[in-house]
Amino acid sequence: MKILIIEDEPEILESIFTYLKTNEIHCESANSFENAYEKIMLYNYDCILLDLMLPDGDGFSILKELKKLNKSDGVIIISAKETLETKIEGFTLGADDYLTKPFHLSELLVRIQALVRRKQFNGSNIVKFNEIEIDTISKVVKVNGSKIDFTKTEIDLLLFLIGNKDKILSKGAIAEHLSGDMADMLDNHDFIYAHIKNLKKKLKETGASDYLKSVYGTGYKWEVE
Amino acid sequence: MEQATNGKLNKKLLQKILNFYFIYALITLIVVGPIFYLVSNKLYEEEADEDLHVLKEQFHAFTKDELTIEEIDQWNKYNRDVKIEKFTGNLKDSLFNHSYYDALNKDNEPFRVINSPLKIEDKWFTFSARINMVEKENLIGSTVILFISLLLLLFLGFFIITKIISSKLWLPFYKALEKLEQFEIDKTTSVKLIENTTEEFDRLNKVIIKLINKNSSIYNSQKEFIENAAHELQTPIAIFKGKIENILQRKDLNEEQFKIIDDLNNTTSRLVKLNKNLLVLSKIESNSYTEKQQVDVYDIIHNQISFFNEQAKSKDIDIIINCNEKVIVNANPFLVETLINNLFINTINHNINGGQINVTITSKKILFSNTGVLMPLKTEKMFERFSKSNPSSKGNGLGLSIIKKIVDANNWSIKYSFDESLHSFEVTF
Repeated sequence: MKILIIEDEPEILESIFTYLKTNEIHCESANSFENAYEKIMLYNYDCILLDLMLPDGDGFSILKELKKLNKSDGVIIISAKETLETKIEGFTLGADDYLTKPFHLSELLVRIQALVRRKQFNGSNIVKFNEIEIDTISKVVKVNGSKIDFTKTEIDLLLFLIGNKDKILSKGAIAEHLSGDMADMLDNHDFIYAHIKNLKKKLKETGASDYLKSVYGTGYKWEVE
Repeated sequence: MEQATNGKLNKKLLQKILNFYFIYALITLIVVGPIFYLVSNKLYEEEADEDLHVLKEQFHAFTKDELTIEEIDQWNKYNRDVKIEKFTGNLKDSLFNHSYYDALNKDNEPFRVINSPLKIEDKWFTFSARINMVEKENLIGSTVILFISLLLLLFLGFFIITKIISSKLWLPFYKALEKLEQFEIDKTTSVKLIENTTEEFDRLNKVIIKLINKNSSIYNSQKEFIENAAHELQTPIAIFKGKIENILQRKDLNEEQFKIIDDLNNTTSRLVKLNKNLLVLSKIESNSYTEKQQVDVYDIIHNQISFFNEQAKSKDIDIIINCNEKVIVNANPFLVETLINNLFINTINHNINGGQINVTITSKKILFSNTGVLMPLKTEKMFERFSKSNPSSKGNGLGLSIIKKIVDANNWSIKYSFDESLHSFEVTF
């Protein structure tokens, strides 16, 4: 998977790079409008991460250029701006997703994966991990071919964990992923215990391996043996 | 203009001035009244005396020489007010007041009398002339009536003049006062005052405008500062957060190191939330959410109920929602959502394990009640920024001030009450 990160803040760029590179994602970067324009002209990307505030122009112009070039690269806006107007403008200009800074890198990763899945959509939208198979559209989970009843939240959790496989996820990151826009109001993340417990139990009952490990009691990790 | 203050004893300035005028006029008239009476009485007497002297002189000049002693009775018979009487023995003129019984009016009438020595055919007589005077009571009565009328007239005049002054001259003052009463630093954008030619009011207006402008600009820069600061903090926080998340992934971390980094991670999340809430607060203050539409309050709760249920479940809390009527408010959807979500999450965050939450929606109100600590919260600072009932709690103390700001921005009201172990917040739309 090849993505382009258009971001002028080198520290943020580096963090994203570091996090994504271990997940078979090839990252390229551009730190200005000019630089970015050059790259989108020359190459195709599975996904473009776009910061709206660039030193020599704003990110919306990139969206306009992509449209002019008739490119269908998926775009996720990553911006500190979070007004409704900016979001609407972004979506109208063809962005596929919007992530407000600061975000969890784990969240960014699953958003990229989801976007790429949608873009490469070919009838079904299936995430596979060994014996586990998740259809992200019909929300059906199969283990070794047999269907299991998962709640929406559990599927969401499962996708988040698998998407961030081999990465340590803090309770907070999981809680914030599950609660979406409401995350800012949470004082406590204990509600995820119940979901983790149920997920583990259901997977165990159907004979799936125990991939979900607790790390030092405060984090979780989907371990690929 | 009606009295706007609630003062029972407060009187308008003009009324006070009017009172002083009235008291002054009253005192003046009370003092001047008797003097006026005495002076006019004296003048009247002097005038009468002069007339009596004239009568005497005329008698001496035209009648005396022709009159004989025999004719005196005749004279006295036909003259009522000028008589020739037996000599009193007084060789000098004497003037005095005397009452005579008036048979026609059947009353004693006051007279001014002159007695003057008169010699007819070498025999002394006394010439006595009299002039009917106004009765003292009548004079006093007239004076009093005159003065009361004068007082009334003065008072009426003062009153009318005061009214005119108050409606014309003092108008700019009252308008300025009204504007000041309406002024709210977070809402009023500019204040216009009536131009006027009265120096004092012109000065007052200038001072008010200066004061308001200065305060508004301080307030605005403060507001902008918070918004800018919160905004500028986002990038460094994002960098910090990214780095921490990457360190967390390192395979060589031991448990102790991992826990430290995880704590840092959680603290960063709190920082993010705090920052976002500050941004929301300053955006509400700077009127960024002005677009209004019809919002169904129940819909908002309904859309988020699974999230709230999930949160409540982890603390074994029961949520009971009573909704009999639809509540549609005309407001900014984001703000209504933020209000409801904040109120709802409050009932969960400040609840006890195994507690209860009641949400009651009626046509004009929404009531959130929850179990919690067994005593009422301190209300005086409840809605202020960063005020927390429990200083060690993880909340940032902005939730209630966001709620309050939203309520204020929409001219709604919020009331806290504590009753039988239930804490309640009631928003009236």
